[in-house]
Amino acid sequence: MRRIAGIVLAVLLIGGVVAAVVAGRHGEDKGTATKTVRGVIGSEKADFFADPDVVNALAAKGYTVTAETSGSWAMEGLDLKGYDFAFPSSQAPADALSGKYHVRQPLPRPFYSPLVVVAHRSAAEVLTANGLATLDAPHRGTLKMAAYLDAARHDRTWQQLKGASRYGELTGTLFIVTTDPDTSNSGALYLAAASYVAAGGRVASSDADVDRTAPLMRKLVSVQGAQQSSSDAPFRGFLSGAGNPLVLVYESQVAALLQQHQDAADLTVFYPDTTADSDHTVVPLTRTGRDLGELLSTDPTLRRLAVRHGFRPQGDSTEFTAATTSGTDYLNQKLTGVRQAPVPTSAVLHEMARRARG
Amino acid sequence: MRRPLAVALAVLALLTACTSHKQHPDQDDVPAPGTLRVLASSELGDMTPVLEQVRQDTGITVRPTYIGTLDAVDLLAEGRADGRYDALWLSSNDYLRLRPEAAKKVVSETPVMSSPVAIGVRPAAMARLHWKPDQVTWAQIGQAVQDGRLTYGMTDPARSNSGFAALISVASALSGAQSALTDADVAKATPRLKQFFKGQKLTSGSSGWLATAYARRGDVDALLNYESVLKGITGLTVIRPRDGVVTADYPLASLAATDAATREDVRRLAGALRKPAAQRLITERTHRRPVVAGVALAPGLDTSRRRELPFPGSRSVADGLLDAYENELRRPSRTVYVLDTSSSMEGDRLARLKKALTDLTGDFRDREEVTLMPFGSDVKNVTRHVVSPSDPQAGLAGIRRDTAALRADGNTAIYTSLEKAYDHLGAGGDTFTSIVLMTDGENTSGARADEFDAFYGRLPRDRQDIPVFPILFGDSSRGELTHIADLTGGRLFDARQGSLDGAFEEIRGYQ
Repeated sequence: MRRIAGIVLAVLLIGGVVAAVVAGRHGEDKGTATKTVRGVIGSEKADFFADPDVVNALAAKGYTVTAETSGSWAMEGLDLKGYDFAFPSSQAPADALSGKYHVRQPLPRPFYSPLVVVAHRSAAEVLTANGLATLDAPHRGTLKMAAYLDAARHDRTWQQLKGASRYGELTGTLFIVTTDPDTSNSGALYLAAASYVAAGGRVASSDADVDRTAPLMRKLVSVQGAQQSSSDAPFRGFLSGAGNPLVLVYESQVAALLQQHQDAADLTVFYPDTTADSDHTVVPLTRTGRDLGELLSTDPTLRRLAVRHGFRPQGDSTEFTAATTSGTDYLNQKLTGVRQAPVPTSAVLHEMARRARG
Repeated sequence: MRRPLAVALAVLALLTACTSHKQHPDQDDVPAPGTLRVLASSELGDMTPVLEQVRQDTGITVRPTYIGTLDAVDLLAEGRADGRYDALWLSSNDYLRLRPEAAKKVVSETPVMSSPVAIGVRPAAMARLHWKPDQVTWAQIGQAVQDGRLTYGMTDPARSNSGFAALISVASALSGAQSALTDADVAKATPRLKQFFKGQKLTSGSSGWLATAYARRGDVDALLNYESVLKGITGLTVIRPRDGVVTADYPLASLAATDAATREDVRRLAGALRKPAAQRLITERTHRRPVVAGVALAPGLDTSRRRELPFPGSRSVADGLLDAYENELRRPSRTVYVLDTSSSMEGDRLARLKKALTDLTGDFRDREEVTLMPFGSDVKNVTRHVVSPSDPQAGLAGIRRDTAALRADGNTAIYTSLEKAYDHLGAGGDTFTSIVLMTDGENTSGARADEFDAFYGRLPRDRQDIPVFPILFGDSSRGELTHIADLTGGRLFDARQGSLDGAFEEIRGYQ
């Protein structure tokens, strides 16, 4: 079974190597010969690597990065011969890749971003009034995962929540829209967090564990109907005023938006009390790849630019905090009260996703 | 199962020939630097001014080939888009994702803009129904239809994105489904849906012809289509029903079969379309909704939110709903095929006609009535077949048998034969009634054009609503056939640029 999922992913992957973001045109050097570095990256980092300031910062250190995008889960099926690094969006696929290519630990993890749920004010108010969430600032709150899963288990509708009738759009089953967990990182991490909570704080490590939470995971996915393959799409729908009231996105998507538009008016960011992080992890395949991974982790300019794209650089949190001070109404800078769910191994998570898709 | 799709490529060739944004089919195969060959939903024809601006800014030219969603998905799944197209731009990729063979051909998707399915209602009907636009629900619309107080037109869900999205909206809302539709929801809603589709008085293979037919008829109260399309038709009150909508998000997608440089061009195009200036132009020119923060909606677009009705998550539900629509829910169609079998059809032409008609028997729907009326110097014979749900094969076998028996001889009596087709059809009844005219030459005997015009002018109003869809073939006269299409409110199809199979197939969307 798992093998089938693997094959599907492999096929996706062959198609999945993508859009070469040829960086380096702007970045001609100051006499230093630049090294070209080839990598495969998760699509949410494409804007970062295409940013002319990032290209220049890399060039100043002697690198020209050529990046192609691929789903993080699809990288496992890819033949990475000739590449210097892979840069998936979470640790599970990175670990699987490092095993496959015998990569020395530790892996550079330059930045990360927790999963959050965005809502408009109407939905935020109703969730709060019904004990499913708390509001901690004008545009920021905490989603109580256990209460949410309980609502899902009982097919709770918005109509059954008090206060919802004031808002025409709040009808139908209460659910969070996510991406397809079978092909997309954020959808898979959502299942990781939800199954961890549903199992009473235990991370799934066997088929039996997957079995126990499978009916609920199946429900979380099937109510959504068709799912998108990248978290950009539901977030765009949300911004255009369409789509489901609750959408799972990366904090980085919101943080990047806030730095461009101070006025994100009707947007509330809920941090699930138990969530999963997207750990952007470099899997070095060559010496140059490792050097680049270290550079992304340590170079102050590149760290600052990662923050511009909404990511949280590893280690010191001051850059993120400083850059988002005007966004504190929306962002939980210190992730206070947010618990980090451990993510199952790649194989277990694949199986969980497959069962949930049905 | 007789799925109402198929023959995607032929339709594609035809679509290119028939849409107003014409492309010569041969050009599609030729890659050119700086030009992206894009397989696109037909309503994106309204993006021309935006794409022109983008071309000036980026140097990228978009060369669209218009196609229905389901046909596009078939094309991708079968690998026939590989190497022929550089990008895909449909109103939605929800259906595509239900087909893994097609989904794996897509590499990345960038939603560009959005538009919900809505209903556009004539002022007279609004007044009669005492509706407040922001209060109307699908349930109310369904009730008005059931009471005989509202009629409407929509496009064929098997051929047009807008029709498919409208079908999903109505099925979701009228089934009372609280989350994504299931087979059980569809089954439960079937009686209400049957009632609802009794009110559908116009069907069409494209949004463009639907609007034209609506304006001509004058007795149809409303149209179901995307908000963006309805806002472009003057005089309609556009209602987004309160109980939910299905929204198209127009993802621009790059394809796995293309090279890295092409995918980079697609990425640049997507980036250019998401710039605030382009988003402003989009909402102002096309009445669609921007997907970037900080760009305001064009005046006239309502900001209040609606529940999003989920698109089905499985192919069995999506295809099952389409199948139910075609074979059970919609009003059946009733068609006379007026077929030129004059002596000039002898040989290859007759063979092509027979093949096209025989192929078409795989596409007729349950309850459909098909009359074959071959003519030469006069109508030669009239045979009527019904595809009965209890034994569909019997009717289809009859059509194939009569097709095989066609013989070429005699002159070409186009107008006399058309008059007999109108006589045969009589009053329309509760069906979509139309005439297909296939001829390979000019009128050479029987009634003249002016006599047919007079005949048509004397028909009662309800029979004048029966359109003739002429097919240009062989040496037939474009002028003559265009006149017939214009007079009767039909549409001309060109089998000289595409194929006869393709023409018959495309007309299915209008029957």
